[in-house]
Amino acid sequence: MATYVIRRIIWTIPVMLLVILLVFGLMKQIGGNPFRQTERAVPQSIQENLERKFNLNEPWYLQYVYYVKDVFTFDLGPSMRLRNRTVNEIVKEHFPHSFKLALLAMGWGLLIGLPAGIAAALRPNSLFDYGAMLFSNIGFALPNFFVATLLIYYFAVRNDFVPTSGWPADFWDFTDERLILPSFALGLFFMAYVARLVRGSMLETMQQDYVRTAKAKGLRWRRVVVRHVLRNSLIPVVTAIGPLIGLVITGTFVIELIFSIPGIGRYFVDAVAARDFSVVMGITVLAAVVVIIANLVVDILYGFLDPRTREVRS
Amino acid sequence: MAVREPTLDTRTPVAPETGVAAGAAIRQSSLWQDAWRRYVRNRGALAAAVVFVLIVLYSFLIPGFWIVPGIWTDLIHDIDPYGVDFSQAYQGASLAHPFGTDQFGRDLFARAALGGQVSIGIGFAATLVILVVAIVYGGIAGFAGGALDNVLMRFLDALYGLPFLPFAIITLQIVGTVNFMTMVLALSVVSWFTDARVVRGQVITLKENDYVRAARAVGARWYRVLGRHILPNTLGILIISMFLSLPGVVLGEAFISFIGLGINPPDASWGAMANDGRDAYRTHPLVLAVPSLFIAALVLCANFIADGLRDALDPRTRET
Repeated sequence: MATYVIRRIIWTIPVMLLVILLVFGLMKQIGGNPFRQTERAVPQSIQENLERKFNLNEPWYLQYVYYVKDVFTFDLGPSMRLRNRTVNEIVKEHFPHSFKLALLAMGWGLLIGLPAGIAAALRPNSLFDYGAMLFSNIGFALPNFFVATLLIYYFAVRNDFVPTSGWPADFWDFTDERLILPSFALGLFFMAYVARLVRGSMLETMQQDYVRTAKAKGLRWRRVVVRHVLRNSLIPVVTAIGPLIGLVITGTFVIELIFSIPGIGRYFVDAVAARDFSVVMGITVLAAVVVIIANLVVDILYGFLDPRTREVRS
Repeated sequence: MAVREPTLDTRTPVAPETGVAAGAAIRQSSLWQDAWRRYVRNRGALAAAVVFVLIVLYSFLIPGFWIVPGIWTDLIHDIDPYGVDFSQAYQGASLAHPFGTDQFGRDLFARAALGGQVSIGIGFAATLVILVVAIVYGGIAGFAGGALDNVLMRFLDALYGLPFLPFAIITLQIVGTVNFMTMVLALSVVSWFTDARVVRGQVITLKENDYVRAARAVGARWYRVLGRHILPNTLGILIISMFLSLPGVVLGEAFISFIGLGINPPDASWGAMANDGRDAYRTHPLVLAVPSLFIAALVLCANFIADGLRDALDPRTRET
């Protein structure tokens, strides 16, 4: 197990290098110059100084090496548009809000999606099952900007239960009522997905021979479900959560815009419009690192849960 | 991975139905006919397919036929989706404007159809690009095997680290302009990874089948083995994954256009229309609701169709 974990961790290093190279290479292809958006022509000498400051006068491979070195020392460089602002500051200021939003959304998904999926699988083709699956299909299909707007309309405009937008400034404030709508709007998709996945996985597990054996030797149904069915059917759910984190990140962009949340996604959109390449690159690299780490954690968890994968993978 | 019938060739008879009286002609049915029968029996999937076709027809027929502009316009709904008329701004639903109008007085019935052309068009075009890339990449990896397979798959692992939306947006920035083709490019660049894995897995499974070995044994070249015996048998799974990828692409397009980095007015896509309706949702909910519900309906249908196809083409994986 230890070798599996270590191998898996070491493997992320080339993956990160490759992903950074890809982001870096793509960013180099973007046309336009962030320093040439003013009306006045920038003097040649200032232009050169600016290029030197951002290492733009060096060959690309050296720039890449500098950038990788910076990333691995947790330095994403200065912003190209905003004077005296570094990407690190921007990330530090905005990323925690996005992270919290994503975390809460996934919390909703597990809190409601998991029990709903289990209950639906225990009574297949029951009224509850149909209801849950209908709900899941709808939650899966509705674009989250529509869900968010509906929630705002019914819970904030019509009924005034919560404010229409806003976000607590303090990261550790988990009791603010403004957290509810955004996280639920973002989590609905995740909830629907988890419910469907758990249901399908449980129904499949319940047809396995070892479940029949457990039943045949006279175990109580509750024990069969908890010990034999649940434990095995949650494995695919764990694997599915990894790739889903990428989708949750995608969702935060939209949700942050609608609820005026000072998260990193909204900042990314602004930076793209302003051609602030270092910020765009920094945020993309950060998002990639989050996804890579999430996949790493999921793989390690998977190794713990299912010994078979350990042998195949290592 | 389920092992499939030896061939999808329609000329090859598959298990003739039993209980036929001696002397009577044995009714033959191909795998596709069987699949069709199973699909039609599934009411939900059938309804989804019907709704799906209706949405597509609506989108492509209402504002004039797409390829030849204007050919249907006079016959069905003679209103220009681009026509600005401020005296008609924010009309509710009526006979003249079934879905009302937006803030510029543009008819939403015509505009939703126009947006549908773009959203559905981008969806299908991107899905096709994804499939082609997936077939080439996954096919090479699965068929070649060994070190090449290993390298390609590890590279794919790395690509899995790419976050979807930022990458699509960066791709759009590289190309510099946002239009139909660049949206297709941006959305397919970041969405082919899973399909490539599926194709590879399928190719590896099929490669070990006896009929493939037999083909090899009688001296078939690799390209014949691949083109005649392996790739046609991945067709079923590819059709399924086409409908599985479609929702992601359609929603991706909607997200990018909604945050204002995608399709721009006066052109329409469902996402861009939703962006138009964002500010006035309290007083004029239709402007946001119409495109959103179209997206939802399309995604819902695509999911049901994918489920139905999976049951129809591969009965063994059917859920209870």
